Amino acid sequence: MADHLLLDVLDEEAPIEEETAARADFLAKAVVAGGALVSGGVLIGGLPPLAVSAPSPAQDVQILNFALLLEYLEAAFYKEALARGKLKGELRQFAETVGAHERAHVAFIRTALGTKARRKPSFDFRGTTRNARTFAKTALALEDTGVAALNGQAPNLTKGTLAAAAKIVSVEARHAAWIRDILELNPAPRASDQPMTAKQATAALNRTRFVRSS
Amino acid sequence: MSELTLESLDRDGALTEALAGVAGDSRASFLRKTVIGGGALLAALAAPRGAEARTNDTAILNYALALEYLQASFYDEALRLRALRGKLRQQARVVGAHERAHVSALQGVLGGDAIKRPFFNFRGTTEDQDAFRKTAVAFEDLGTAAYKDQAPLIESRGVLAAAIAIHSVEARHAAWIRRLAGIVPAAHAFDEPLSKPKTIALVASTRFVAKTRASSAPLFTG
Repeated sequence: MADHLLLDVLDEEAPIEEETAARADFLAKAVVAGGALVSGGVLIGGLPPLAVSAPSPAQDVQILNFALLLEYLEAAFYKEALARGKLKGELRQFAETVGAHERAHVAFIRTALGTKARRKPSFDFRGTTRNARTFAKTALALEDTGVAALNGQAPNLTKGTLAAAAKIVSVEARHAAWIRDILELNPAPRASDQPMTAKQATAALNRTRFVRSS
Repeated sequence: MSELTLESLDRDGALTEALAGVAGDSRASFLRKTVIGGGALLAALAAPRGAEARTNDTAILNYALALEYLQASFYDEALRLRALRGKLRQQARVVGAHERAHVSALQGVLGGDAIKRPFFNFRGTTEDQDAFRKTAVAFEDLGTAAYKDQAPLIESRGVLAAAIAIHSVEARHAAWIRRLAGIVPAAHAFDEPLSKPKTIALVASTRFVAKTRASSAPLFTG
């Protein structure tokens, strides 16, 4: 599976039966002007370089700070989309509900990290909050990526932190399934969710160029 | 539609034996095969530290297998009885296939240590769309909570990676069927775990697990 699958956005909505085939086309068009590596955004670092490294409190901090960045980003994305006032009906309900969850996740992780919590960067969502369609596709990509990134780090966490992270990751999976169903895509495309390595998750985030400063 | 848990489905118990018998297993040999999907992981990562760790993970995997048997059999029966239409039928086909894949993956990992599939009597919930929907919501929310509870107890990194990859799929299933049932797909900012004794008690309260094959026949048809 290509490592850049998730944050690139599908180029058209595929009916549920065809979605497996359509996934190969996910890479085709990124809403956020993919291609050149991070010319307008900030290059994110910050996950442990190795996919397999022994859990430790210090590594928990690194992983939680990356999770915090994703949550900051998601929370800001839903907030901006709602502020633009273009979302109606269930999509609006989705953004309100999920946005509140992401804010709660930010608060939870910040509390866990204490003074080690990274600051909130500024974001530029590059027009993706401007209309309902690009909003929905971008939300889908962000939620699927959140699941894959957290799943990938689960074995690298100490047990206590894993228990806390597991309470968040399944909620992200619910968000992903919800927006997929709204888009008439398969809410659960695989029997097991493909994890992303630290490198893949970082690269996927960088490709969006959503992060302007960190 | 109100939120629904297994408690409200039916009373009295039977799965207790099947699930509780899982608690103290031995002779682990679960690394001989890999898990589908997320897990060539198992082969690549798993490095159990000793017999004790393997025994503990075997018990956890058999507990997961018992829950997957329950889910897979439920969807299979609903489809076999042709009780579902439209989006609900589509959901049952996709999710049923996932649960079967989870069953075979767990069986493959457990090998000779895998518990046997019990008989089930779904008491009409596979024969009626509304009852099916409610039961599926309860099963998927329960599955998510049960995996979440067990994940931090798993010793092997590979088994953990596979379990966590299934855990989020159960959450996707839950969100999907909740939307079909008209319930908010993600009701809370944090999903809480459910302990093994509480999970077993809930499943037992349904009386879905039967002593014999005969009692697994549909209560009625049409």
